[in-house]
This record gives sequence, structure tokens and C-alpha cells, in this order.
Amino acid sequence: MAGLQDIRRRIRSVKNTQQVTKAMKMISAVKLRKAQERLVALRPYAGKMMEVVRRVVSRIQGDVEIQPGPAAQAFLSPREEKRIRVVLVASDKGLCGGFNANVLKAASTFVAETTAEIVHLDVVGKRAAEWARKHQLTAAGEYLGIPLAGFQRVVTEISEGAAAQYHAGEIDALYIIYNYFNSPMSQTPTVFRVFPMELDRLAEGREALEVSHLLEPDPNSVLETLLPRFVETELLRNLLESSASEHGARMAAMDKASNNAGEMIAQLTLTMNKIRQASITNQIIEIVSGANA
Amino acid sequence: MSQSIKLEVVTPERPVFSAEVSEVQFPTAARGYYGILPGHTPLMTAVGDGLLYYVQDGQKHWLTVFGGFAEVGPDRVTILARESETVDMIDLEQVEAQRQRALKLLKEAVTEHDLTSAQAALDASLIRLQAAGHPAGHGF
Repeated sequence: MAGLQDIRRRIRSVKNTQQVTKAMKMISAVKLRKAQERLVALRPYAGKMMEVVRRVVSRIQGDVEIQPGPAAQAFLSPREEKRIRVVLVASDKGLCGGFNANVLKAASTFVAETTAEIVHLDVVGKRAAEWARKHQLTAAGEYLGIPLAGFQRVVTEISEGAAAQYHAGEIDALYIIYNYFNSPMSQTPTVFRVFPMELDRLAEGREALEVSHLLEPDPNSVLETLLPRFVETELLRNLLESSASEHGARMAAMDKASNNAGEMIAQLTLTMNKIRQASITNQIIEIVSGANA
Repeated sequence: MSQSIKLEVVTPERPVFSAEVSEVQFPTAARGYYGILPGHTPLMTAVGDGLLYYVQDGQKHWLTVFGGFAEVGPDRVTILARESETVDMIDLEQVEAQRQRALKLLKEAVTEHDLTSAQAALDASLIRLQAAGHPAGHGF
């Protein structure tokens, strides 16, 4: 019977697809673990960095003799935001559920609502680059197909550039739009202002610092070296969050696909068995009625 | 007053070192090497490229540090390094290969940018060799 053959072929093809989705799920699980490990390894560094920034800032704020230079302004007294630099982080590949769609939607909303002019756009990931082209935005920096090990270089480039632009008065703020990693199953598209920093974020736990540090060679140059390092750390964290989110989302999507394929196979097998039994019954009836005649 | 310093060296990739030591010396970006003993005045400064040493149980130990930031308190030294390695993390063969490559690039360099990046790579390899106690590093 032709129907039987067709169903067998379909079962085989669904099984093949299921093998692919299962393999992709496992690969994503490994990549997710790697990104998470990097995130955990970054945490002590980022924590210390935050502490040091708080100390320097409270030191400069507490001392009237120090004239805050341009780097101090980045931390202390935000300028009016007229021109901004934006970093958009999505993924290079698809098949990861709503990962790209969500973050790109957040980007579209941000672009539509912001009153500032976006003078410099960096895109990380092919999907982000495609989005920029679709919206007729020129991306000054394109970072495509960056492996985990290459993140450091990317963030150094962006943060050094952004710090220089801030000093030159070319930009007033740096934003990053990325997927925040809640858990392997859930990500939130987030718009985050890397600098100027939110003052209340700086104020947390400042009471504890009374010691006045020597800032060598002088307070402003200390902040000038500190600012790009700090921005770099924040960006690196965000990039890693995005990467972990991507692999988490892909893992969830592929898990669902594998389950769906499993259900489909079960259904097809049921139909196939029904058809087979029907044909056997038919044959028996034919034989019996033939013998009776 | 405390008789020891808690030295912590962290990089974005990993915490490299954390222990109580009795003396630390590290390279700064602007003012050469700073030697820190317990009870030092609180201080913050940018870290340069070079060798950091600490003294633990009367023994000198070396670490490489490449850029970053240092915070000194009376009983602690925290180094936020862009890169840093302990001596046993250094792969001599790899560093030697890096040095040869840098020397070659230095000879072939045309633009100023090539030249500075090749020089930086060479310096980095020499610092690592010196940390590992390799003869070629001593001339640095």
C-alpha cells in the first residue's frame, strides 16, 4: 500500500531532524556552560573594579581641591545627552527562539524613542548587522562571528574608542542593547547606559569608605586610565551575558523541537500501525470469504 | 598594625593570585616600580607592564602583569590586571615562539603602528621569559 510507504519515509525524515535538533541542543548546552564559566570568572574582577571606581569617585567628590577633569565628568556630572554611541548585541546564527527578535525589537523602540542623535553604532552579530541595514543605519563598527575568546579584543576596541570620543566631546553617553541572562530558559532584552554612570549605583555602600587615598600621579589621570578599563569590564560582562542568553535560548528552542519531533514520530507510528492492521484485516477477510465461497 | 599584606591579583579571565604576603613590588604605568610593605599609605595608581614580586615566608615569587590598576591599603594590595600570569602558567616554548615571531615582525615592520605592536609583543614575551627565569630574558 502506497500510504504505508509514505508514512515510513516521513517517520525516517522526522527522526533525522530530531537527531539534528538533539545534537544542536547538546552543543548549545556546552557553549552555554563555557559562557557561564567566563561570567563567573569575571565576577571577582568586576566586583573589585566597581569598588575601586567607588573609592576614586568618593575621593574626588570629597576633596574640594581637586578639579574634576573630563574623565571625572563621565562618572560624576553627566552632560546633556545630545549625541550617543550605541552598541547592539545579537547573535550570528538563528534557530534560537525569540532571542534576536526580542533584542532587535528593543533596539527599534530605543531608536524610535531616543531624543539624542546616534552618532556611532556598533553591531555585534550578523543579525544585528542585518537589522542596521534594514533600518538604514550605518554601523561604524561591525563585529561578526566573534568567538568567546575574541570578546576581550572587541570590548577593548569599543571602550578605548568610546572613552576617547567622550573626552573629545563627540559623544555624551554610551549605551548597550543586549539580552540580559536571567537563567538558561529566560532572557530579558535590556538597554543599559554604560556611562555616564547612574549616580545611585555609585552611591551604594559608599559610607564604608573614609580612607583618603593618594591618587598617583594625579587624580584626573588615575580616572582617565580607570574609565576605559571600567567600561571594558561592563561591556565584557554584557557581551558574555548575551552569549550565555543566546546559547540558553537555542538550547530551549532545540529541546522543544526535539520534543515536537518525538510527538510527531509517535503520531505517525500510530497512523502507520492502524493502516497496517487495516490492510492485514482486509487480507484476512478476503481469504476467509474466498474459502467460504 | 598588621604584619602582612593581602595580595590579590585578578584579571577579567580569572582570579590569578590571592594570599597573605609580607612584601609586594609592582610596576606602575607612570612612576617605575612601587615597593609596598605592611602599613603603606592608601594609594591608587595605574599598573604598567612588567614583573610583580611578592615575598611569602621569606621567599620571592614572581608574577607577570600587563596593564590595569592597583589599589593599596595598609593591609592589602589589589591589582586589577588586564593580563597576569603566575610563573607556572607560562609555557616556555610558546613564549619563545612568540618572541621569535615578534622579532621577525619587528624587522618587517613598515608603518609606525606595526612597529609599536611588534615592540609591545616582544616586550611582553621578554617579560614572560624573565618571569620564568629564562636566560634570554635577563637582558631586558
